[in-house]
Amino acid sequence: MDLSKIAALVGCAVLAFASAASSHAADARETESYVRVPLPPGFRVEKTELDGPVFADAKGHTLYRWPFTDQRVGNVGDPKGQSTCTDVKSTTNTGYMSPYPPGLILPELDQRPTCTQAYPPALAPANAKPVGKWTVITRKDGRKQWAYDGFALYTSNLDQRPGDVIGGDSYEHRGDNPAMRVPVQPPPDLPPGFNVATDRTGRMLLDGRKFSVYASDADAENKSNCDGVCAKTRIPMLAPASARQHGDWTIFERSPGVLQWAFRKRPLYTYTLDPVAQGRDGSDEPGWHNVYTQRSPPPPAGFTQQNTAAGIVVSDAQGKTVYMYNCGDDSVDQLGCDHPTQTQVYRLSMCGAGDVERCLNTFPYVTAPAGAKTDNRSWSIVDIDPKTGRFARPGQSGAVRVWAYRDRPVYTYAGDKHAGDINADGLGEFRGQRQGFKAYWIRDDFNARTRSGE
Amino acid sequence: MTSSFTDILLCKRIPAGLLAALVVLACGYAAAVHAAGTVPPATAASAAAEPPADAPTPPPNGTIAYVLTDLHWAVWESADGKTECPKGFNEGNREHFKKLFPQDGKQRTLLETQLRREVDAWYPTTAPEQFNFLEAGGPTAYGLNLDYKIGQTDFTGPDGAKGVDNQLYRVLGCIRNYRPPEGAIQGFDNDEVTKDVYNRVIVELSGVESLVNDDDVQVMIYRGRDPILLDATGKNAIPGGSQRIDVRWGSKFIQKMHGRIKGGVLTTDPSDFIYPWAVFYIATDEFMHAARFSLNLTPTRAEGVIGGYLDIESWYSQMNRSYSTHHQSYGQSSAPSMYKALRRLADGYPDESGANTAISAALLARWTQVNLVPASKAQAASIALQKPAPPYAGPPFPRTIAEETAENNSQVASAELR
Repeated sequence: MDLSKIAALVGCAVLAFASAASSHAADARETESYVRVPLPPGFRVEKTELDGPVFADAKGHTLYRWPFTDQRVGNVGDPKGQSTCTDVKSTTNTGYMSPYPPGLILPELDQRPTCTQAYPPALAPANAKPVGKWTVITRKDGRKQWAYDGFALYTSNLDQRPGDVIGGDSYEHRGDNPAMRVPVQPPPDLPPGFNVATDRTGRMLLDGRKFSVYASDADAENKSNCDGVCAKTRIPMLAPASARQHGDWTIFERSPGVLQWAFRKRPLYTYTLDPVAQGRDGSDEPGWHNVYTQRSPPPPAGFTQQNTAAGIVVSDAQGKTVYMYNCGDDSVDQLGCDHPTQTQVYRLSMCGAGDVERCLNTFPYVTAPAGAKTDNRSWSIVDIDPKTGRFARPGQSGAVRVWAYRDRPVYTYAGDKHAGDINADGLGEFRGQRQGFKAYWIRDDFNARTRSGE
Repeated sequence: MTSSFTDILLCKRIPAGLLAALVVLACGYAAAVHAAGTVPPATAASAAAEPPADAPTPPPNGTIAYVLTDLHWAVWESADGKTECPKGFNEGNREHFKKLFPQDGKQRTLLETQLRREVDAWYPTTAPEQFNFLEAGGPTAYGLNLDYKIGQTDFTGPDGAKGVDNQLYRVLGCIRNYRPPEGAIQGFDNDEVTKDVYNRVIVELSGVESLVNDDDVQVMIYRGRDPILLDATGKNAIPGGSQRIDVRWGSKFIQKMHGRIKGGVLTTDPSDFIYPWAVFYIATDEFMHAARFSLNLTPTRAEGVIGGYLDIESWYSQMNRSYSTHHQSYGQSSAPSMYKALRRLADGYPDESGANTAISAALLARWTQVNLVPASKAQAASIALQKPAPPYAGPPFPRTIAEETAENNSQVASAELR
């Protein structure tokens, strides 16, 4: 083979790699579009890596609401038009998560914030006027607070920079989670009949029933090549005659008089054999892909993934399942207990029966190797004091550099011995939903845990 | 269709005695327990007889599959419970908490109470506890004679079969959660068998020349991938549905056993058995050493007993992760008490220290005939069978007996504990 042909082959390979890379990069760069709505003065929309666009205050801090939520034997959170987050420090539990009774003294009271210290209310000036869905409520202390769609708004003391969503998330939590704070978001730019939902892998496009929407590599821009046998299982997302294309959304005529939606010029379909909502089965066929308005950053280099009996989990370099610890207390404030700035008492009870050394051995941190870097904010490297579980002071002796997701360290479990073991998944109170460990699922074909944030 | 064949279908010409025998085989567990629970006789009298002329025809191609639709830990109950639980039923974690930390005006911390009890559940030891655990007794229990002996701790089956090994019954039998029909955990456990596709267990028999007598049958276990075909009420499984074999996520559940059919009852040789049992979407599995199936077979249903030595740590992990303290409280379970009872009553598979790690157990199981999708069978056949991985070994850095004892001694106890 002469040099010119070798050069051509090498060039093709480089181009193919670059094309794939740029395709992935393009996917990575794409962010979700939203509908512009009137905003109070100073408020704005921030684009976030995991939750899509969110409303933010003048400093760029994400705005949250705290929906009124049923607990097992009571309810907490804000009803519409009212804030229940006060300046009074809670000192005992509510007993809303039976069978434990109320009145038990909460841990580390000397370090415990009030609700408004953890979630400062988005205060409104005295002369604030309602704008669109933005209204003003009067707190019990007489101060004015912004509300959106009737729900009082807050920021989080965990969010440091514009685009941070560490004080809450937009997963579709279910069951026995604490009463979560939820980022308030502008309406997504979607035609009727579509939804978008946060998944571990990104903001996934769904149909009206919340089943996944797919696109095919075999299609051209605004042209479907799926008919006949293909169209028996790949059902085109049809557009009514009155539909109008806009932004990322186009409409093309797939056959005379039959209009189909395309997103970013890719024709859209559902898959008849998807067994669950927000599923992935349709992307198992080569050339077919779930469609996202934006993708989540993948785990950093060095992380792997493992098949389990229920789906796919993120694992460390040795193939051990990676776990997250999540915790919300049973106080009237439902404050978090899973961040390194918060009490570690709950975590220590689960990870080591209260013993620090046992905890470090049972649920070791996923340490970041020297020189490791991250190119996104969802995955970060933090310095932890292993004896306390809190952030280390700068230059602190004995601190460990560990990987974190949403600013919270991640762990492996020493009781996992074989590839695909998930023996600590659900280890904790209420299957780990209230306080405990959860495997980092990126695909769950049985119980859709990637959409519940579990 | 000849009139004589029609008459057979309408049961007009089936001899009355044979008809009665077929009804017995199709209807109850008792025949299965009796047939499988006895020590296999050594004489030629047990040789399989020729199937009667009117016995069910062999399945097409000698193969038939059933999907699991009901599964319960085998808990025998007398009418009033007094035979097996003469001292009543166990209290659970809610009652224990009240006794340990009574409403006596003293303010207690969440750490020294709630989190302490969570530690007791997640890091259990065999240290003696403050509570008196009520074991199920009495002479009767469901199950199989796993060791082919009649021992002092053995039960007698409801049909009179001797030597039944089911020490798990002693643990569960006086806990309301496990007593049907109202026991909450046994209800949830069973509901999830059909609701959650993760729990789709299939047994396929091949090489079947007769569903009445056949001394050489291959048994394959699979995990299915599809919902179960239900009747119009949505509650009852009906035969004839299809199932794909889950070859992608469920390869570890593909297992091979050997069995025989005698008098319409399938009995399998002892074999390690791993099976999925997820509750409330926590993907958990259980492990039985030397498991045997004893199932009454018809062309449309199978039911009977699965017996074996249940790995304790796997069982306890499944139970705790699925239910946690809250759901255990519904029917008065206490995880720490159960763990101590499990280890105390364990009767198999000692570890290096000599402590038994498994406990004889029995499941009551019902199955419905299903058709396996041929393409998925071909895929499953191409997968090399894996020996089940060793079961979960429990907390890798367990609490010691001394630790728990010291914590118990420092705890403020209530005035009167059972």
